[in-house]
Amino acid sequence: MGICLNLHYLWGKYLSDMDKLPLISLLLLTFPISAIVLWGVRDPAKVRLVALAAVGVDLLICLTLLGGYRSDVAGFQWMEIRRWIPSMEVYYRVGVDGISILFLPLTALLFIGTVLASWNRVQHMPRLYYTCILMLKTVTMGIFCALDTVLFFFFWELTLVPIYFLVSLWGVGPHRRYAAAQYTLLMIASGIPLLLAFVLLAVDHAQLVDGRLVGLMFGLPELLASPPSPHFQTWLFFLLLLGLAPKIPTVPFHVWLPTMAREGPVVILAFMTGLKLGAYGVIRFLLPLAPDAAREYHWLLAGLGTAGLLYGAFLAISQTNLVVLLAYASISHVGLVLLGIATMNVTGIQGAIFQLLNFSLMASGLYFLTGFLQHRTGSTEAVNLGGLAKSMPFFAAFYLFFGLAGLGIPGTSGFPAEFLIFMGTLETHLGAGLAALAAMILGAGYFLNLFRKCFFGPVRGDTGGSVVDLGGRELVVVLVSSALILFLGFFPGLVLDQTAASANAWVDLMRPRIGGLPQ
Amino acid sequence: MVEHIAWLAILVPWGTALYLALQRLVHPVWHETREKGVGRVSMVAALIPLVVLLILDLKTWMLGVVGAVLWGEWFGAGGYHVQLGLMLDWLGLGMATLMAWISLLTIRFSIPYMHREGGFMRFFMILNLFNGAMQMIVLAGNAVLTFVGWELAGVSSFLLIGYAFERAPATRNANRAFITNRFGDAGFLFGIFAAFTWLGGVDWDHIWASVDQVETVGATLVGLGFLIAAMAKSAQIPFSPWIARAMDGPTPSSAIFYGALMVHAGVFLVLRLEPMLRQTPSILAAMAVIGLLTAVYGWMVALAQSDVKSSLIFSTISQTGLMFFWCGLGWFTLAAWHLGLHAGFRAWQFLHAPSLMDDLDRPAPSAPRWLTRWPRLHTAVIQRFWLEQVGDAMMVTPTQKLAADMLALERQVLTPLAGLPAHANAISTLAQWQDHQSGVLPSLGYSVERSTGLAGNLIQNLANILYYFEENMILKGGGSGLLQMLLRIGKRLTNIDMLLSQPRYLLFMIALTFVIIL
Repeated sequence: MGICLNLHYLWGKYLSDMDKLPLISLLLLTFPISAIVLWGVRDPAKVRLVALAAVGVDLLICLTLLGGYRSDVAGFQWMEIRRWIPSMEVYYRVGVDGISILFLPLTALLFIGTVLASWNRVQHMPRLYYTCILMLKTVTMGIFCALDTVLFFFFWELTLVPIYFLVSLWGVGPHRRYAAAQYTLLMIASGIPLLLAFVLLAVDHAQLVDGRLVGLMFGLPELLASPPSPHFQTWLFFLLLLGLAPKIPTVPFHVWLPTMAREGPVVILAFMTGLKLGAYGVIRFLLPLAPDAAREYHWLLAGLGTAGLLYGAFLAISQTNLVVLLAYASISHVGLVLLGIATMNVTGIQGAIFQLLNFSLMASGLYFLTGFLQHRTGSTEAVNLGGLAKSMPFFAAFYLFFGLAGLGIPGTSGFPAEFLIFMGTLETHLGAGLAALAAMILGAGYFLNLFRKCFFGPVRGDTGGSVVDLGGRELVVVLVSSALILFLGFFPGLVLDQTAASANAWVDLMRPRIGGLPQ
Repeated sequence: MVEHIAWLAILVPWGTALYLALQRLVHPVWHETREKGVGRVSMVAALIPLVVLLILDLKTWMLGVVGAVLWGEWFGAGGYHVQLGLMLDWLGLGMATLMAWISLLTIRFSIPYMHREGGFMRFFMILNLFNGAMQMIVLAGNAVLTFVGWELAGVSSFLLIGYAFERAPATRNANRAFITNRFGDAGFLFGIFAAFTWLGGVDWDHIWASVDQVETVGATLVGLGFLIAAMAKSAQIPFSPWIARAMDGPTPSSAIFYGALMVHAGVFLVLRLEPMLRQTPSILAAMAVIGLLTAVYGWMVALAQSDVKSSLIFSTISQTGLMFFWCGLGWFTLAAWHLGLHAGFRAWQFLHAPSLMDDLDRPAPSAPRWLTRWPRLHTAVIQRFWLEQVGDAMMVTPTQKLAADMLALERQVLTPLAGLPAHANAISTLAQWQDHQSGVLPSLGYSVERSTGLAGNLIQNLANILYYFEENMILKGGGSGLLQMLLRIGKRLTNIDMLLSQPRYLLFMIALTFVIIL
């Protein structure tokens, strides 16, 4: 007890010491520093240690941010503002609120898992590999922290660089280069409407003085305070939606994800399905920047959500490959999140954020496990698997556990998330809610059927009988995720308390305004 | 608040399940000598709930019913808040005590029964999970907590039906049972939503209290959701077939799940909702009809079964059908007594089933004579009235067809539009790759010059046009091509201008303008 109190005191003292530091900038700076160290090291065994240390430091910083975050205050905290491009009034502006704060430690955790999962799997150019991984991590955290549309766009497009190299150099499929190129092209193309939207939004707030635009507005807090005219919002809404749709991904812009699943390395898939950046972009930018248009086109969002939910689930039924199944399941899951967002009420949005956090644990866990399997058997096709539960009981058990978390079984973090989304959706979009209930049944169908084919029954395939079960490092990766899933499943209040104030503020932003004030 | 010890009845079995799982993780190598320890831990974990519940029974008997016990809020957002509460009335406590007692007996029975089974530890882990879930269902103070137990009971049932996972039928049946139950779960969630919306809360006492003020439509919707859930869990028509498939699990699990406890969860849910259901005559009528149908169905099918467990299970659902029938007629107390007596009796019968063959000196009885006199009816009974085939035709086949159609859409329309490598072309073997390379199969040809997909083709066509322009107009003759074309266009424009300046065309243009304006 004494030790416990002492630790608590030390943690509090540590937090108060750290309070003055620009922690978010430090978080973003770990990448250049660790990259320099990384390229100074030759031994591959040390390279991964450096990478692990870098993500470990990140986790510590993220936990410090979380510890110092005041969940009862709705606005942005840990704000930092510096001049970046003065002539265009673009600032380096970062900060977190209740919507984004919890993504940071989970991102750090996911990348710790990534480093551990690729520990002795990467023989080829390890320094470049880990540089890409670390860059992706920092850029992702930048996306979660950016409070300036230009800065957000900067990080948003910067994710393409590491992803391109990771997929084309360390992918597993024969078409990996092609898939990487297509993905990059698609994302660059979708960046155009996004950038256009941000520029138009900035110009909309500016005035022409002496042939110069004055008062360009790129800062998110200012933009949120002064929404543009309803007519302009409609344009903005569709431009942003078009820009974000491929990343979410919504039907019909989802096709890259299954291809990526087949061709890319699984750690990238863990990132892409675990951290659904597109859905985060919808919560952070699309809806609050165009609240009136979003209210008008709520049916479109709900429709996209329902379409993705059902389409992904139906396609997952016919899959015979674990990685592709998970890709379609992810499309279905993100449809559910979109439904939660489309409700625009506190229940739905809280559920959506919770669900995103749940996916970052559960989807990444499933992909890491699939990666371990691929490494052992060389295949993720059902025809080559079967009976694996006999030789790898732990593996099968954890796979099932993560799968059940995806189905929203109580006791896992999936339940409160799914429950809130269902309640919120049934309240505002009854039809979509009923469709979501139907998809719940389909979800059990597609997951359990492929699980059965791959893990149960007699041993099939050449290696099925002799594969070894999860080892030490792999067990650590899945145990941490499952412990968190279980813990948050029993104590969902911990997450919901963190997000409550910001979610309420978010819903207030979406309400119709009269005279600049929320009604 | 001494009543909070009731939480132990739920948390001790769950904690034991977690403990056994961690034990398995720490000591991956199983040895027979550890059976004793696992058995002992499970016995203690089953005994504690029983003792706790008996104490609470005694206290309730002497000091009166406590009713709802609240611990605090579990989670919530917006208008939807879930309390951590228990409902310690006679129905809940009585059921819980009975279940704790049957669980204890089953665990005692299972220790020697599962001796030298490979999945000994797994079996007891799941059994503990199930026991806690069952206690949660009966003790929960609101619908959401009941749902928690409901789902976990479903998961443990899935795990135990597929206990022998090397056998393909066992796991197929496990999936079938779980997915059928998901229909009920969807109904349950809808019921919870309806209760929040129309009744203003999900706490049982709140639901009972608010039924007087609510209009029938709302109460009927709440009842409908919960009725679907109850029907699926208690294997009423049309959900009945899953329970026959569930007989694939080890016998003690069949006893506790389908003979004694889980199959009654649906009836229990109906009993819990008694005050509300009394306000909804249509739900009661539906319940009576379904219950009666199921009772007749179970009775007739049981007549023609040739193995012990199947005939027992059909007899069980015939009894649960009767319980639904009593509830539908408004005889809830009779249904509660029926439930308790039936659970005890059936548990004994199921546990006795493995040794029944030894005790009997004659073969299993064949179908009664009157049934064989009606060959068509006999066939129908043997085929279990084709209920499963009908379910397949109504639900499974359309789903699979729809899935196949969507897959076709994805492969033939969306993927080519996006210009991604088609699924069919994906190379799975080295030999196939070599075939592509040597030209036996068409070349894969994802080259820089060849575009794919809608966007790619658009860009390529645009590039071709621009290339033509560049080649013919600008490069050819140092830009004279462009000059010549411009001169040509200029000449054409001059001609048009001259034509327009003539009066008849001028008049025509003015007339045209008027036509467009008007």
